[in-house]
Amino acid sequence: MAAAARWPAFGRAAVCLAVAVLVVAGAGFLFALSGLYDIAAGREHLAPTRQFLELAKRRSVAVHSVFVEVPRRDDDDLVRLGAGHFASGCAPCHGAPGVPVGPIARRMQPAPPDLAQIAPTWSSKELFWIVKNGLKYTGMPAWPAPQRDDEVWMVVAFLRALPSLDAAGYRAMTGRGQSGLARLDSHDPAVRNCARCHGDASAAPVSPLVPSLNGQSVSYLALSLANFAEGRRPSGIMQPIAAAFDTTDRGRLAEIYSTLTPAARAAPTATDAQIERGHRIAIAGVPGRGIPPCLTCHGGGGLATYPRLAGQSAAYLAGQLRLLRLGTRAGTPQGAIMTPIARLLAPDDIEAVAAYFDSLRDAAPDSGDGPRRLRVP
Amino acid sequence: MTTARVLIAGIALSMAGCSGVQSVLSPAGAEAGRIAAFFWVLVGGGGIILAAVIALTGLALGRRRHRWLQSESLVLWGGLAFPTVVLSGLLVFSLPLMRAGAVADRQALRIEVVGERWWWRVVYSGTDGRPVELANELVIPVGRSVEIALRSADVIHSFWVPRLAGKLDMIPGRTNSLRLVADQPGISRGQCAEYCGGAHALMSFHVVALEPAAFEAWLARQAAPAMTPSEPQAEAGRALFIASGCGACHTVRGTGAAGRIGPDLTHLGSRHSLAAATLPNDAPSIARWIRDNQHIKPENLMPPFAIFSAAELDQLAAYLAGLK
Repeated sequence: MAAAARWPAFGRAAVCLAVAVLVVAGAGFLFALSGLYDIAAGREHLAPTRQFLELAKRRSVAVHSVFVEVPRRDDDDLVRLGAGHFASGCAPCHGAPGVPVGPIARRMQPAPPDLAQIAPTWSSKELFWIVKNGLKYTGMPAWPAPQRDDEVWMVVAFLRALPSLDAAGYRAMTGRGQSGLARLDSHDPAVRNCARCHGDASAAPVSPLVPSLNGQSVSYLALSLANFAEGRRPSGIMQPIAAAFDTTDRGRLAEIYSTLTPAARAAPTATDAQIERGHRIAIAGVPGRGIPPCLTCHGGGGLATYPRLAGQSAAYLAGQLRLLRLGTRAGTPQGAIMTPIARLLAPDDIEAVAAYFDSLRDAAPDSGDGPRRLRVP
Repeated sequence: MTTARVLIAGIALSMAGCSGVQSVLSPAGAEAGRIAAFFWVLVGGGGIILAAVIALTGLALGRRRHRWLQSESLVLWGGLAFPTVVLSGLLVFSLPLMRAGAVADRQALRIEVVGERWWWRVVYSGTDGRPVELANELVIPVGRSVEIALRSADVIHSFWVPRLAGKLDMIPGRTNSLRLVADQPGISRGQCAEYCGGAHALMSFHVVALEPAAFEAWLARQAAPAMTPSEPQAEAGRALFIASGCGACHTVRGTGAAGRIGPDLTHLGSRHSLAAATLPNDAPSIARWIRDNQHIKPENLMPPFAIFSAAELDQLAAYLAGLK
């Protein structure tokens, strides 16, 4: 009886609450409709609004990044590659040591924060989540290639290193303003941009995670740029760069790199046994497991649209084989051929073949699309 | 009247399945003949017994009482002794059929067939003793006993050519031996009869029985290296075949292509079908297969080669179809 008597009171309270909510929502709607709210980016938020938005952002990122798994790898190679992307993708809005925020970005609301200051206040998981997903209503875009978590981690690695960099350290890392890295064709900004990460006639790529382009065929290089530009080969780093070039530019860049000979690189670090194992897979495959030999396509006589792998760094090759295994590169006809093959390779097969191609130093590429010579040790 | 017509049409339609290249009921060899005869004995005997049981049931349900239907001796003789005798007789009759022709024969032609996902590797012994490899097709001489060594490269498959013999499993790590004789020339179709993964249903093959002289000529042709293409279209196709890396998985004897992962293509153009009896063997089908094989036969282990232009596909197809 007592419980039944309480119900009408409860019902009245619920109705009152619903009416209150409707009134508040209606008032908010009328306020928006009135056009009185000042949406100008040139004017700061009110302090309570800013604090509320900040709280919502911090909580959202913290909760959404709970299940992000931090990879073990976190080394200088990642940092250098992350730096290369940071210089072209992040610094224009966020600034960098010795690089002021651009005049346009300075007038954004909220203003893009100085990452050297703000990055240490986020955990690696949270930084990863922000770089990958972007932030709504702030102008911070999501990563162009959602499949490429590996690239996002490169940026995170750099953001971790950023607070300890001064202007000279940043310049040394990104090659901005340094004469040495622009040797290739300093009057051509497009080529300078490539050389910043991929190196040129005399400089090896900035990190073993970056492929050397020297001596690849014109067809392969131009096709790769087209695949990046149109998003068939996903890369948040390469897609914006390639999309900025037209077909003529891509052809010109491909021509230039196809004529270069490989630059000198550090000695390989893999064991002889690993290299020998990779050598066997490269020339004979593993027929019992359906693995074809690499060199039938990637050696001297393969189609010009197939890449030559001799002398490419082990870190880059192993990374690409892992991406192929994930199906990330299956969007191009060439990637669709390689994807099922990469899936047959066990992790130690990948290390072995990557070590083998890394160990080749005297591959002698020629220009144009003709067959290549490949000396097998 | 209409019911009778529908019945007749239905019977005629279902009987159509009894002839054809893959029917147990139109045997083309001694082994399959014995199996077909056994089948008819079972159908006939089973039919008579069924009719008798129905008749007895009718009697038992009728108004008149039959004392003998209630006797214990009927249960003993009809329910115990009769099935024991009949089933024992059938067992004795059928055991020889299950030996899969295990009688040794020195004159037998030996062929090795390896079940692969999802095709058949077929290896003959050439006149000089060297192995001659082809795929997805067996050619056998009429009247000569054939001993087929059945192996598997990966999972359990089952080799079944209903017009020639019973089915026999291909088990990884062991060799099973199947013996059969074709008693008339012609084409039979075989099928993998043990589920072996994704493309199992499209793992078939043809067995062609030829007169002995024609068989010898065929084997000599298969043992020879591939023909060199004469027209420019096929010649361009050959260069493309090599440069595209097809030789990493396929062998074309007489060229640099020496891969052992996929089927031998040395005399592809001479076969009755493509892709383990999935497609007719002609140039348009070859071109389709190269580009769309994952649509035609999902999950098969060949990557799709969508890298070629229509003209390049025509060149490749012209080359491969010309490998007679």
